[in-house]
Amino acid sequence: MGRGTIGLVVLVVAVFGALSSIFIVDEREKALVLQFGQIKQVKTEPGLGFKIPFIQEVVRYDGRILSLDTPAIEITPSDDRRLVVDAFARYRIGDTEEEIIQFRQAVGPGGVRFAEDRLASILIDEIRGVLGSEGVTSNTILSAERGVLMNRIRAQADSEAASLGLDVVDVRLKQTNLPEQNLAATFDRMRAEREREATDERARGEEAAQRVRAQADRTVVELVSDANREAEIVRGEADAERNRIFADAYGADEDFFRFYRSLAAYERSLRGNNSTLVITPDSEFFEFLDGAGISGLSAN
Amino acid sequence: MANNGGGPWGGGGGNRGGGDDRRPGRPGQDGPQIPEIDEIMKKGQEQLKVLMGGRGGRTPNGGDGGGEGPKLTKGTLGIGALIALALWAFNSFYTVRPEEQSVELFLGEFSSIGGPGLNFAPWPVVTYEVIPVTREQSEDIGLGRSGSSGGDGLMLTTDENIVDIDFQVVWNISNAADFLFNLRDGPETVRAVSESAMREIVAGSELAPLLNRDRAATAQRAEELIQATLDSYQSGINVVRVNLNKADPPREVIDAFRDVQAAEQERDRLERQADAYANRVLAGARGEAAQVLEQAESYRAQVVNEAEGEASRFTSVLAEYEQAPEVTRRRLYIETLEKVLGDVDKIILDEGASGAGGQGVVPYLPLNELRRTPAQGGN
Repeated sequence: MGRGTIGLVVLVVAVFGALSSIFIVDEREKALVLQFGQIKQVKTEPGLGFKIPFIQEVVRYDGRILSLDTPAIEITPSDDRRLVVDAFARYRIGDTEEEIIQFRQAVGPGGVRFAEDRLASILIDEIRGVLGSEGVTSNTILSAERGVLMNRIRAQADSEAASLGLDVVDVRLKQTNLPEQNLAATFDRMRAEREREATDERARGEEAAQRVRAQADRTVVELVSDANREAEIVRGEADAERNRIFADAYGADEDFFRFYRSLAAYERSLRGNNSTLVITPDSEFFEFLDGAGISGLSAN
Repeated sequence: MANNGGGPWGGGGGNRGGGDDRRPGRPGQDGPQIPEIDEIMKKGQEQLKVLMGGRGGRTPNGGDGGGEGPKLTKGTLGIGALIALALWAFNSFYTVRPEEQSVELFLGEFSSIGGPGLNFAPWPVVTYEVIPVTREQSEDIGLGRSGSSGGDGLMLTTDENIVDIDFQVVWNISNAADFLFNLRDGPETVRAVSESAMREIVAGSELAPLLNRDRAATAQRAEELIQATLDSYQSGINVVRVNLNKADPPREVIDAFRDVQAAEQERDRLERQADAYANRVLAGARGEAAQVLEQAESYRAQVVNEAEGEASRFTSVLAEYEQAPEVTRRRLYIETLEKVLGDVDKIILDEGASGAGGQGVVPYLPLNELRRTPAQGGN
């Protein structure tokens, strides 16, 4: 009975000792083994690890890509226009043993949280530096060259963060906006631009309409006057034709024509009750009216 | 269930002789299966008794002088082992649903990916995580929430205009292991990368095309850029699509933009109205021109016809006249005067009345009266 109990205790202690002397490093982690604060081991690869129980402790760090957002800061590019900029960084604790040791030495027991604070100030510094540097205007930031600038910020932040044992994987600008007080001015400008465009549209519409109307009016005059010209020509031809016909016909006996035509004219002009003739009865028509010519032959 | 040697298994008994050799503790039993069941039941009963605190009828290892304690411990250990086995199995087997994958870690190190179905990961050596991979997840960006900085969707374009953009990124996981091992905050990363990518694209574009014809291209480019960035993190994330829900001018100026559209319509309207006017007056002018020409033609026809008729009449009369000129001439004269004087008002004054030298009655004639009389008579 007593022997059994002792055996049991020994067994329990042995199992406990064995369990506390092994540890598992996850795929997502890096681990340090500290012995009274002294770094004894660095585990960069996942798997099983061993340590001396009780006097060594394991410190684990996240080995994945971590994220960090910077607060929005106001920057002044070299053209003195202010922009509000914020960014995010993706970073991870370095892969090599030296970097992990460096990380630990730089951040102390504060861990990732402390590193974040340090990295954020590095980032803000580099953003200000790169976006405020010579030749970088707000137009550069607002263009396809933004990618280049972001890469430059990343590279500089990466080299700064190397002392923290961090790899800066990526730095990206998020907003690059105008400060609140400039927003209203920009809106005004946008509105003015639209108004210009709208006015232009309307004016062009009126212009086009007027042009179309004027052309139409002109064409109307052209058409009608052209027709009138043609018509006059036709009338002239008609008159000429009439003259020719008359000349042909009347030319046969000019004397008779004068007589005949005069008679026709009398008939047409002295018509109805619009004329009063005061005549003496000595015309040929009245030759018999006074009875003088009744004897017939003597008249001639 | 009879244990007789007859039937199809009668001969089998002899064959089973060799099998029975392996179980010397059960001699003389013909049936190959039933005795086993019986034995198990018996064992179970014994174990049950042990568990209840009673004595087992027989101990597997034969009698020993250890007394009650050891017997109890052994039995309890057996049951405990069973329970532990069950717990272990419960911990080691797991199911993966169709939209999921599992990632198995052998002592913390990535070992394999498990597909849908029942999976086995012997605890504690192998651990696993199940994550949904094919299920689409979405991040809405720019919906006016202030959670992420500048998240109201207002973005500055390269021509320094401001555009209001809302979009949605739909994603799933293409590589469960990468997703699990390389990123601490997956969804948050997608969100941040998407916003950055969209702002980068907008910052390189002009406002006008962004609002209409470049919408699809913008979404396409954003998708590519987001995917490329996420790939550079080896995130194992697959961007399914980017929906550009809104790309509008900001609320503050949208009226001005609408006014431009109205102006475009108005321009169109003015032009069309002018066209209508032109069509109308041109058609009228063509009609008028045609009328003028037709009138001229009708004049020509009329004049020529009349002339021809008159000429023909003259010619006819002339022919007649030439046969008897004097008579015809006189007849025509008389006939004409007859007609003329028949209708006309006339005053015939004899020469005597007219007085010598034409100073007779003529000067005293009330010519106005004469002229008026027929008019009054007409009335």
